[in-house]
Amino acid sequence: MLELRRVSKHYSGIAVVDDVSFSARPGEVTGYLGPNGSGKSTTIKMITGLIEITLGHILFEGKSISDDPIAYRRRMGYVPEEPYLYNHLSGVEYLTMVAQLRNMPARIATTRIDGLLRLLALYDDRHASIAGYSKGMRQKILIAAALMHDPQLVLLDEPFSGLDVGSALMLRSLIQALAQRGKVVLFSSHELDTVERICSRVVILHRGKLVADDTIVRLRSLMELPTLEGIFSQLAVEQDTDSMARQIADLIHA
Amino acid sequence: MRRLASYLLSRLPLEYRVLCRQFLMRVVDLEALSIEADIPQFLGQFAGVAIMLSFVHSVIAWAYFAPMSPTDRFAFACHFEQYLIATMMLAVGVFVVISWDAVFPDRRDMMVLSPLPVSSRTILFSKLAASGGILGLEILTLNALSGLVWPFVLGVPAGWVEGFLRTLAAWWLTLITASLFMFSSALAIQGFGALLLPRRLYMRFSALVQVAAFAAILSVYFLQGTLTSPAALADAQNQRLLASSPSFWFFALFNQVRGVLPPELAWVARRAWVALGLSLSGGLISLLLCYLRAMKKIAEEPDLLPAKSGSHWAPSLGGRLQSMVTLFSLRTLLRSRHHRVILAFYLSIVFALALSATRHAIAAGHPRAFSNELPYVTNLMMVLSVIGFRKVYSVPISLTANWVLRTTQLNPSVEFVAAARNTLLLFAVVPVWIVSAALGLSFRPLSMVAGHLVMLALIGVILVDLSLIRFHKVPFTCSLLPGSTNFQLVFWAGLAGYVLLALFEISCEMPALRNPHLYAWLLGTLTVMAAGLWAFNRHEAKSAVLYFEETPDEVLTTLHLLMPPPAAVASNRR
Repeated sequence: MLELRRVSKHYSGIAVVDDVSFSARPGEVTGYLGPNGSGKSTTIKMITGLIEITLGHILFEGKSISDDPIAYRRRMGYVPEEPYLYNHLSGVEYLTMVAQLRNMPARIATTRIDGLLRLLALYDDRHASIAGYSKGMRQKILIAAALMHDPQLVLLDEPFSGLDVGSALMLRSLIQALAQRGKVVLFSSHELDTVERICSRVVILHRGKLVADDTIVRLRSLMELPTLEGIFSQLAVEQDTDSMARQIADLIHA
Repeated sequence: MRRLASYLLSRLPLEYRVLCRQFLMRVVDLEALSIEADIPQFLGQFAGVAIMLSFVHSVIAWAYFAPMSPTDRFAFACHFEQYLIATMMLAVGVFVVISWDAVFPDRRDMMVLSPLPVSSRTILFSKLAASGGILGLEILTLNALSGLVWPFVLGVPAGWVEGFLRTLAAWWLTLITASLFMFSSALAIQGFGALLLPRRLYMRFSALVQVAAFAAILSVYFLQGTLTSPAALADAQNQRLLASSPSFWFFALFNQVRGVLPPELAWVARRAWVALGLSLSGGLISLLLCYLRAMKKIAEEPDLLPAKSGSHWAPSLGGRLQSMVTLFSLRTLLRSRHHRVILAFYLSIVFALALSATRHAIAAGHPRAFSNELPYVTNLMMVLSVIGFRKVYSVPISLTANWVLRTTQLNPSVEFVAAARNTLLLFAVVPVWIVSAALGLSFRPLSMVAGHLVMLALIGVILVDLSLIRFHKVPFTCSLLPGSTNFQLVFWAGLAGYVLLALFEISCEMPALRNPHLYAWLLGTLTVMAAGLWAFNRHEAKSAVLYFEETPDEVLTTLHLLMPPPAAVASNRR
């Protein structure tokens, strides 16, 4: 289980993530939602260890992730929000590099890389430089790199970004399959429809603070709203979106 | 004057002015310098160095040549004139390399400017104006003082008008024509390459030619012969050098315009005019054709071509981490133009030194007695090779992609540091040692050569370990950008220190090669030094945390408006 206990992140005294506590359990897909700038990616980066926590604790399977970071990293797979990759490498070279960094035996790594590249429809372009890859192809490389070592904790930050319809449907099923195999899946996205379909519970963040942490079914009944979109709008959207849209249309027409 | 310039600029179309300003900042190949480099600061530093060089040249011209009699001055000036012209051509050559492809349309221009109502002609003129502006600035700064002092020293004794003014005009004409020759030759090579080759092949060809051009320019500058007197110029033995060296062509052109060129050397000046004509017309024609044809090619280029024919080369090089670091380094060096260009600078000098030693060996025709020539050349080659590779180690390939190394760091830091060291030994020391061994074959006795090669290997290991003190990083992943640290100071001080160390070692080595006891003592000392440095670095690395010098988030989120708290910076650095 992944557990966040009163986690905060301050930049120059300003709380970007403020006293956030929640847990993600094995066998569940936990949706992590919030508007832009609410602190979602910062939280995920703290969970990965990329940035340090200002206050609080993050525990995985009962142990603080800072106790034995190497053992923790070994069990974690992470798809970041932005598809930043070493563009001078080819797809297969990048995945091989990650496998070597993860100390995967060469034979197992080759088999898994080949298999993943085929299943993700990247096999024909495996020798092409990543610089030439489309956003969706880069996203697939990130997904393959995050999963090839069979991690117990899967952190997905906007994993559907740039994927075509077929790949997105496949990824949706894959996330559910990973949860069914007992993995802890934390999934951050703006696509509420997808979150509603695949997540058993959601955590909603607004201005760095936790505003909801429950199952979708329970939230629906508590708030008496039929959809996750309605719940999210009520908890985390402040603007009158229709009015804003009208103002933009008026502005460019003037 | 300022008002007139403003008025003239305001008469130019707005899109031209906007593009010109944009291209001016992009003349320097961002890939060859650094994507995050501060271009105005870089250009400022460049201009500063040029003015300094101009000042040094002026002092030499004034202090050394001014007191001479006109006859002596004429006799001794040949060498200095040719040196000044060659240096100008070298400076323009370096500019040509770092502004490679800047005048030609690229994919970014196509993607950004195609949807906008901007004509190809405007793009072409804006790019030419930007490159021309920087080239003009370079010519001006490099000759700011010497361009006046040298014509003054040379010309005034013959009178103000006929002497000084004519010499001044001839000097600046020569500098401008020599610069144009270099610039337009590069344009012609690139332009015809772009026209004749398929786009993808051209991209590879262009990157290779850029490095080759750099190596060629440096090699010619350092290796070409010098002619120190009018008699040497007229000597039949030197006609081949005069015929093949562009700096001599423009030297002759200068003297022709001044009216002092001996008639028997008129053909050399004619070469300069012909070469200038050919390069200018080649450059212009290829540039125009490129804008007519290559832009269409770029637009039609597919985003991605399947690369089924490629191969995935992942040999085991002593452990997974070692293989990863070595292959990552090798691929970065082979594929990143930025790294290749920096490295080419150092390796060109190594290459020139090796070539120079080989030339002497070939000229001798038989094995020579072992002298300090071999240790000097090979030790300098070793220093430059280690320094060159160490410098490119510090240039990041993509800071934003480093997250993957941080989230997959399963090995202790000491193993990463060891892998970086082994890679530096493999790339910087082993090739130089092999070349040195080959050079050593032309010296006798071979026992002394072998003795030197053992010392050279130890010097290589010591230099590598010295270079990697507190280097707790993965090569090509940490940022040491120009201006961000005191890197330049450390680098030049380090280079000077290494050269002194290598020279000191030679002064001990030469007597030691003739005295077994002394040799054993020197060998023992160097071995202890090498082992000590290795143990020190390893001990330091054991408690170190790999360092990725990225801009702290605190700085990014506050847009530098607030200073990050010291604790936050410390934790980031940890």
